[in-house]
Amino acid sequence: MKKLILIVSMALILSAGLALADETSIGFVKNVSGQAFIGRQQTLIPARVNEKLMRSDALITGADGSIGVIMQDDSVLSLGTKSRVDLTQFSFAPAENKLSFVAKVKRGTMVYLTGLIAKLDRKGVRVETPNAVCGVRGTQFAIKVDNQDEDDSDLSSVKSN
Amino acid sequence: MNKHNAYLMNIKIILLAVFMASACVSTTQVVLLPNPDGKVGSLEVASDKGADPQTLDKPWQATETSILTGVPDTPKVMDEKEVKAIFGKAMEARPLPPVNYIMYFSKGSAELTADSKNLLLKALEAIALRSSIHVNVIGHSDSVGSVQFNDSLSARRAKAVVNALIARGVDNKIIEIANHGKANPLISTPDGVPEPRNRRVEINIR
Repeated sequence: MKKLILIVSMALILSAGLALADETSIGFVKNVSGQAFIGRQQTLIPARVNEKLMRSDALITGADGSIGVIMQDDSVLSLGTKSRVDLTQFSFAPAENKLSFVAKVKRGTMVYLTGLIAKLDRKGVRVETPNAVCGVRGTQFAIKVDNQDEDDSDLSSVKSN
Repeated sequence: MNKHNAYLMNIKIILLAVFMASACVSTTQVVLLPNPDGKVGSLEVASDKGADPQTLDKPWQATETSILTGVPDTPKVMDEKEVKAIFGKAMEARPLPPVNYIMYFSKGSAELTADSKNLLLKALEAIALRSSIHVNVIGHSDSVGSVQFNDSLSARRAKAVVNALIARGVDNKIIEIANHGKANPLISTPDGVPEPRNRRVEINIR
């Protein structure tokens, strides 16, 4: 019970900033190596440590890249090389009962450790791939997508430079 | 080539065409990992093909969608080394999970209790261990006294923790400080009720 109170209390505090405005960040970059980018509205932003993540961002890595991020609900997500994950939806407002995280793994590898959203709502976290859907309950898992329909053309603007 | 062989050849070509049309352009592999605290959760992998979902609830258990049908196969436990060969780069990029501590204070005071001084050391370790770039410190109070008094008290509590962190070498640029007065109790009480568990500072380290 004590632990639950702590979780709920932390959730309310961590979400206090997030609920204020839509422009508030949903997480930040903690680790980067090699080619790693944030895809935001058709542009590629080189990922740097401490860079903020916004709603609907994509995380994209090149042939030697990897990236690790911490989300606002204390969940932790990382990508290996040649990967792309779209952070399709992220709502973390326990006071308004809005708890959901939907990530789409388009290609490559991702490791995810759930945070407060999964703790507070059993159906809050969903990870989708082109042909599967993972419902996640308080856990850590790794996922790999081999996708012939997906290439790294979303990195072409970087390569041509 | 006689007529019979030509017929067989045609069938082979047709079968190959059918196979190629039905084969999935993508496959998904999912592996359940033990949590950093050693506990193991569970997850359910469903396909868009309407087949029964597969449940993973043992460490290193994995399921893969079939290239033919797109349906996740019966889970099997993978070798840890095998998992690391596939996911090593993503695993290396994993940030350490954030941690939270609650430090308690004496009644009406911004002096840490003895137990909470030990927590301060743990917090310092946690900050160093993850080369933390976000430390969030929030002061609280119980409901004894006016709003104004408790706003100021909770601010002094948060400041006491922040000062202690800075005195031990934490960069003040990574610290965010806030105070909620008596507005965010851990334990709900009527106004004016002393509650030691609400006289606290919460710290989130990322």
